Amino acid sequence: MAASIIETTGLTRSYGDICALKPLDLLVPEGEWLSVMGHSGSGKSTFMNLVGGLDRPTSGSLQVGGENLLALSEDGLARFRREFVGIIFQQHHLVPYLTAVENVMMAQYFHSVPDEAEARFALERVGLGHRLKNRPGELSGGEQQRVCIARAIINSPKLLLGDEPTGNLDHKSTIMVMELLKELRAEENFTVIMVTHNQEVAAWGDRTIYLDDGILVREERLVKTDEG
Amino acid sequence: MLFRILKNSFLKRPKAVFLIFLSITMGAAVATAFLGIAGEVSHKMALELRSYGANILIEPSAAEGGGFLREEDLPKIKTVFWKYNITGFAPYLFGIAEFSSGGKRERGVVSGTWFAKQLEVPGEDVSTQGVKGIAPWWEVQGRWPEDADEAIIGAALAKRLNVASGGEVTALVKGRRQLFRIVGIVTTGGYEEEQLFAPLVTVQTLLLQTGKVSRVQVSALTVPMDDFGKKDPSTMSKDEYEKWYCTAYVTSVAKNVEEVMAGSRAKPVWQIASAEGALLNKLNSVMLLLTVLALGASATSVSTSLMASMAERSKEIALMKAVGADRFQISSIFIGETLIISVVGGIVGYFIGDQLAEVISRTVFNSTIASPLWLFPTAIISAFVVAIAGSIAPLRRALLVEPVKVLKG
Repeated sequence: MAASIIETTGLTRSYGDICALKPLDLLVPEGEWLSVMGHSGSGKSTFMNLVGGLDRPTSGSLQVGGENLLALSEDGLARFRREFVGIIFQQHHLVPYLTAVENVMMAQYFHSVPDEAEARFALERVGLGHRLKNRPGELSGGEQQRVCIARAIINSPKLLLGDEPTGNLDHKSTIMVMELLKELRAEENFTVIMVTHNQEVAAWGDRTIYLDDGILVREERLVKTDEG
Repeated sequence: MLFRILKNSFLKRPKAVFLIFLSITMGAAVATAFLGIAGEVSHKMALELRSYGANILIEPSAAEGGGFLREEDLPKIKTVFWKYNITGFAPYLFGIAEFSSGGKRERGVVSGTWFAKQLEVPGEDVSTQGVKGIAPWWEVQGRWPEDADEAIIGAALAKRLNVASGGEVTALVKGRRQLFRIVGIVTTGGYEEEQLFAPLVTVQTLLLQTGKVSRVQVSALTVPMDDFGKKDPSTMSKDEYEKWYCTAYVTSVAKNVEEVMAGSRAKPVWQIASAEGALLNKLNSVMLLLTVLALGASATSVSTSLMASMAERSKEIALMKAVGADRFQISSIFIGETLIISVVGGIVGYFIGDQLAEVISRTVFNSTIASPLWLFPTAIISAFVVAIAGSIAPLRRALLVEPVKVLKG
């Protein structure tokens, strides 16, 4: 069995009196595609934010890629995010005044050194070789999401996080994005944590965990098919 | 990449960038104008303040025991190291005389002086020296004396002798008699109203003191006294003394003059010198305060504009943080933006401020000013200071942006 890339023990996150994530013990092996499902407010985004170093736990332990995230400073967490994590947002969150290639290069800039050729290649890999110089406002939702994916993978992350990445896409675009992620994962062998409330999207993963009111209530190991 | 981010950020938000640019430009312009005219204002004010009266008094040295200075030494005053700071001087020879006019008689002081003497000093420009130049507050009803037997008389003495302009007064000194034609009545508000003023040479003859003067009043442009200027020169090291001697303190100018007047002792008229110094210090303080206030107002304006801009850009900042930007990288983007604007604002502000200083100088002092070279870097630095000071609060807000809250789906 592959070594765990994520290990949580008694991981909690509270906002005042509200406990968004109740003590969670979870192991995620390297290379796994984990789908996280649940209703709104179930704690799935909270879990993803903690794992991605975007938020800090209230208690418990959280090891990601051997890093104890609780021990990292704010700049340490920033370094962890740029070196270890790629994030795909539901609403893409592209910088509106930068072109597609510049949006990708921005992630390179914060990581190390921008390389336009590499950024172009990343966009070609996601099928946007013809939209390099377009700004986000000139791209469709699916295209914006593919720019977001290119930005997420440009620094070769070990962990790819998707927060409802297809939530704003139609069915055809959803399939296209999921296919793309599957191909990229096969090439790059990164671990995927995909938060979704869509059963069909969750089915693209190796395993699905279900959260309800901040508690892990169920998990399913899925049978892989070519259709996802 | 940073350049691309900055360039696109500028192009995307022209209004916000313009507001910040305007604030920085105004700050730099006001700083340039105020600092530019501050030096000039001090100089012009010092000139204006010379109408307060002489600020250095040269008297015979007690050690010499002579009781008089030599008239032949007077031209040397215009040859000393600080000659260009000496705006004028007037010698006096005093004596007691018995004045009579009509049926009235009275003992009083007869003063010989230069009224407006054309002084020719070899190697120097011809200058006009005398009471008329160094005591502009003297009000003369009539005119200033021009001939050897003409005189002006103090208002109080004239009243007692019942003499008016056009009248005559006879001065008797130890049997020697001199008739003076009164051409003016002088009002000064001081002891001069009790005296009769006549040409120096005439009074020297009357008093049998040819070539002698009792004292000399000197009017000089000086810098305000500071702690160093107040030090006793006799306790100074060689370097300190040189620095003191080469600074236009009233004490060092007095020392300079004393050196060329044989048997003299020159001392500052402190009530004049200290009042001038205090006024010039206050003036400089006001200019500096206005500059600081203007820069403070600009920084506040920059801060307000940036704060609004940061609120608009919170999503962008959150995104940068989410993809791994640390505090230094976030800071370098926003400070970089502000610094670029500040360089341009500083350059534009310098030229505007330079013109503003010119207008102020022309309006207030009726003269032009030459901008010192240091003003350009000062304008740029002022713009930097405004930009950095105005960026502190917005940058802190930017660094506190939490991606989780801002990017929430």
